[in-house]
Amino acid sequence: MSLPRRDREPRVNLVRRFVRRPGRLAAETAALLTAAVVAFPLYWMVLSAFKPAGEIESAEPRPWTLAPTLDSFRRVFGQQEFGRYFLNSVVVAVAVVVASALIAFLAATAVTRFRFRMRTTLLIMFLVAQMVPVEALTIPLFFTMRDLGQLNTLWSLILPHIAFSLPFAIWMLRGFVKAVPEALEEAAYIDGASRARFLWQILFPLVLPGLVATSVFSFISTWNDFLFAKSFIISDISQSTLPMALLVFYKPDDPDWGGVMAASTVMTIPVLVFFVLVQRRLVSGLGGAVKD
Amino acid sequence: MTSLMKPGAPDRRRVRTHGGTAGPRGGGRTAPHPRRKSSRAPWLYLAPALVVLGGLLAYPIYQLGLISLFHYTQAQVSGGEPTTFEGFGNYARLFGDEQFWQVLLATVVFAAACVLCTLTVGCALAVLLTRVRAVPRLALMLAALGAWATPAITGSTVWLLLFDADFGPVNRLLGLGDHAWTYGRFSAFFLVLLEVVWCSFPFVMVTVYAGIRAVPSEVLEAASLDGASQWRIWRSVLAPMLRPILVVVTIQSVIWDFKVFTQIYVMTGGGGIAGQNLVLNVYAYQQAFASSQYSLGAAIGVVMLLILLAVTLVYLRLLRRQGEEL
Amino acid sequence: MKLSARTVAVAAVLATAACAPQTSGTTSSDKDEKTGTLRVWLFQEVNNTPKEQVVDTVLAEFEKAHEDTEVTVEYIPVETRAQRIKAAFNDPGSAPDLIEYGNTDTAGYVKDGGLADVTEEFAAWDEAADTDATARQSVTVDGKVYGAPYFVGVRALYYRTDVLDELGLDVPRTQAELISTAKEIRAARPDLYGIAVGGAYTYGAMPFIWAHGGELATGKGGSYASAIDSAAARKGIEAYTSLFGDDNCPAAKCAGMGGNDTVTAFASGKAAMAIGGDFSHAAVEAGKVKGKYAVVPLPGVAAGSVAPAFAGGNNLGVLKSTSHRTLAVDLMKRLASKKAQGALFEGMGFLPTFSDVRQQAAAKESFVKPFVDTLAADTKFVPASPAWAQIDSSQVLPTMFQEIVSGKKSVAAASGDAARKMNEAFGSAG
Repeated sequence: MSLPRRDREPRVNLVRRFVRRPGRLAAETAALLTAAVVAFPLYWMVLSAFKPAGEIESAEPRPWTLAPTLDSFRRVFGQQEFGRYFLNSVVVAVAVVVASALIAFLAATAVTRFRFRMRTTLLIMFLVAQMVPVEALTIPLFFTMRDLGQLNTLWSLILPHIAFSLPFAIWMLRGFVKAVPEALEEAAYIDGASRARFLWQILFPLVLPGLVATSVFSFISTWNDFLFAKSFIISDISQSTLPMALLVFYKPDDPDWGGVMAASTVMTIPVLVFFVLVQRRLVSGLGGAVKD
Repeated sequence: MTSLMKPGAPDRRRVRTHGGTAGPRGGGRTAPHPRRKSSRAPWLYLAPALVVLGGLLAYPIYQLGLISLFHYTQAQVSGGEPTTFEGFGNYARLFGDEQFWQVLLATVVFAAACVLCTLTVGCALAVLLTRVRAVPRLALMLAALGAWATPAITGSTVWLLLFDADFGPVNRLLGLGDHAWTYGRFSAFFLVLLEVVWCSFPFVMVTVYAGIRAVPSEVLEAASLDGASQWRIWRSVLAPMLRPILVVVTIQSVIWDFKVFTQIYVMTGGGGIAGQNLVLNVYAYQQAFASSQYSLGAAIGVVMLLILLAVTLVYLRLLRRQGEEL
Repeated sequence: MKLSARTVAVAAVLATAACAPQTSGTTSSDKDEKTGTLRVWLFQEVNNTPKEQVVDTVLAEFEKAHEDTEVTVEYIPVETRAQRIKAAFNDPGSAPDLIEYGNTDTAGYVKDGGLADVTEEFAAWDEAADTDATARQSVTVDGKVYGAPYFVGVRALYYRTDVLDELGLDVPRTQAELISTAKEIRAARPDLYGIAVGGAYTYGAMPFIWAHGGELATGKGGSYASAIDSAAARKGIEAYTSLFGDDNCPAAKCAGMGGNDTVTAFASGKAAMAIGGDFSHAAVEAGKVKGKYAVVPLPGVAAGSVAPAFAGGNNLGVLKSTSHRTLAVDLMKRLASKKAQGALFEGMGFLPTFSDVRQQAAAKESFVKPFVDTLAADTKFVPASPAWAQIDSSQVLPTMFQEIVSGKKSVAAASGDAARKMNEAFGSAG
């Protein structure tokens, strides 16, 4: 690698203009093609949700439909309390996002703005905790929840998910909290602000963008959870969440593809909306998390 | 807010460090902030986190280890028979079981393949993103976000439909007739791999793309002016500069892909024909919740935990070597 | 101070032993509430609507008879029943009060301590006297009764009359003929499976093993030993697995199928023959092949003989943990009553467990005849050991069949492995 040499620049600009064009065209074609391939499964999902039954189960699948219908969605919402499952999923996800964001905010503040013994040890522990395969803990958690009498309740999903999203959230928020200048804090204290006031009225709003990026992860992992829902909500179907409801339509011997795809669409849309909303924050937030 | 967003001194440092003048560890690091010395306040702030993590992470890990040392099946759980201490009996049974080794091998190979594909695709597309104008970039970004946002379970069912032997468009497109993708061991794993890569490359792409954007543009210009090929630029300029990011995404991918559950469970119907597509996670679940061998499942969980712990230690060492301040 | 490894190990053992994981203590509930909500789990059948109607009628009467009671019924998929029911044993708080369970699971559930002993109530129930002996046996463990028989399930050969006529084939009279007929059909009509078989369809495969003189396990009472790898059993396994392949039922499709899948394939006109139960009748009638099929007992090895059938069927049982014992027992009796079983027979084709009701049914509906004939010929049962529930739920036999049909292992190797796993289960569950 060498440094640019000024004297070569004008000529190169000319060359670049000619050389770059075809290169860029190829790159842009590739990008658009990839985008199409990546988006195809989602397109097919939505398409199949709207196709009439006869067109889905046809040996000649066509990438369009001339007779879109809401039948599959009707079947989904006609199924026992689908709305209820949707609500359950929302309750669990929102509870986890809010709780883990607040707890992580406090913890991240502690490890970045204070020096105390065991700080580094704690940080390493958070890092290690992040790596714990939560699925392996299904067995002991099942018994813990049973002993607490929380099986079949939404708490059995909320509590573990808070615990599992915390380490990553703390780790990620650290960068954001650190980025708030010390001077600001000092100024606040000079102005006579209490510690709590500084924490909630000054630091919190400043870190909010980071919190949003963090919540994407806790939201997804909670919303997508299948294993815990399958293992902990064992008999009370009124406490089921969406993934279980979706599987009702997916019977291995005779799947109702229209129903599965309609339910999948309903389940995917909230996450998609959430993602698009926080998209910008996410990109910068990730940068902040992985490198501070 | 971060060095990444504001390209500046720290980035240069990384280049230099990699270049061989690996001076004192974290030589360019900014001096630690003056922090208040308070003994109680930080613990107050940490209390909720520690309580939650202690109760729902540390305690279950302890219990997991405990259960793995007992003979713990349905009869013990529901109180029909007393629990008996077995020591390492469950582990002996596990390690003596040929299937366990097969599953372990499959898990490692499968996870490695997933990680490799995810990283390759993610990095390649991140580079591609930097070379195109706004419209194609937005298109690819949105498509990737869509894949990322798709819950594992819906992703699995959609990919099953795409590759369905009778009604799927893929077989039609490739002229494969009614080839059943989930029947063969490798083709089933391959199908799951496609889904896993599809939903996990966006994380890599977005992160690496954010990293590349933070690289000072003069550096890249200079490289391309020198006539370096794409691959060479990546190899000798970008990759070294992005090393910290690459380490993070690699480790994250290893961890995610090592414990894939939903995709295998849904797409191969709980582990495939004759259990050919089992990975450790699904195997543990089947042992514990299907066959009620809770202690055996717990032992598998412990093995998984130890493997990932080893990966974490490697990660920590890498972080330390980079002179990252914790 | 330096601790030796041994000291540490001993200390660790002591520490862990001191706080062994607790058990749920599913001792029977003390409470016996006379009002409230009863939870019931029944199996989801291929065509479930008629079953729901019968159940709903019973529930309406039940709720009328008992003030301030409500019943919620959940239909659970048969494939995941083991997990669901075990989970229920684990958590008495959320468990249902009454469940339907396969008669092969009785011994295992009793050992798990999940089912309530209803010997007294059963003896005092006037209708129980007409329960046939096999059915009564299927709810009994060590002389105690743990439920009420719900229906008898026995399988026979469904075949398409139109396809056989068209190809000029006779109804197979031996297992060898069955296999050759299946392949001839497939050769002439590649769009059909000759006979739909499934790698996970254990109860469809068992008659082949038994017909060749094989056994699943030998022994009595507490000590069983697997016999799945005996020469005779292997011959049966070979016969069954020879049906997987492009010349009958391609392994790529059929290796993963279970019993319900094969019935679905037959009902939707994708197979010329299938091994289905009396309980499959409604689903087949509701399918595309209505009026184009007939049923005969599954042939044995010798011409004219009947392959021993698996004496299946389901029972209803009250969970030990119920806090509404009296109500749950009453509901169980109502659901399994002669009247309800008669209605269930009409709706679903489930064979009643009461001898007299079954006779009436056979007189009314001719389709019952092959099943009754099969019952009369010879029936066999899975080992009456609690280990069976475990062997079943850890998929020992389906794995064996799938290994063979997918070419991963030879019959000898796969059956040897299966025998080892079975013996392990017999040994540990005793």
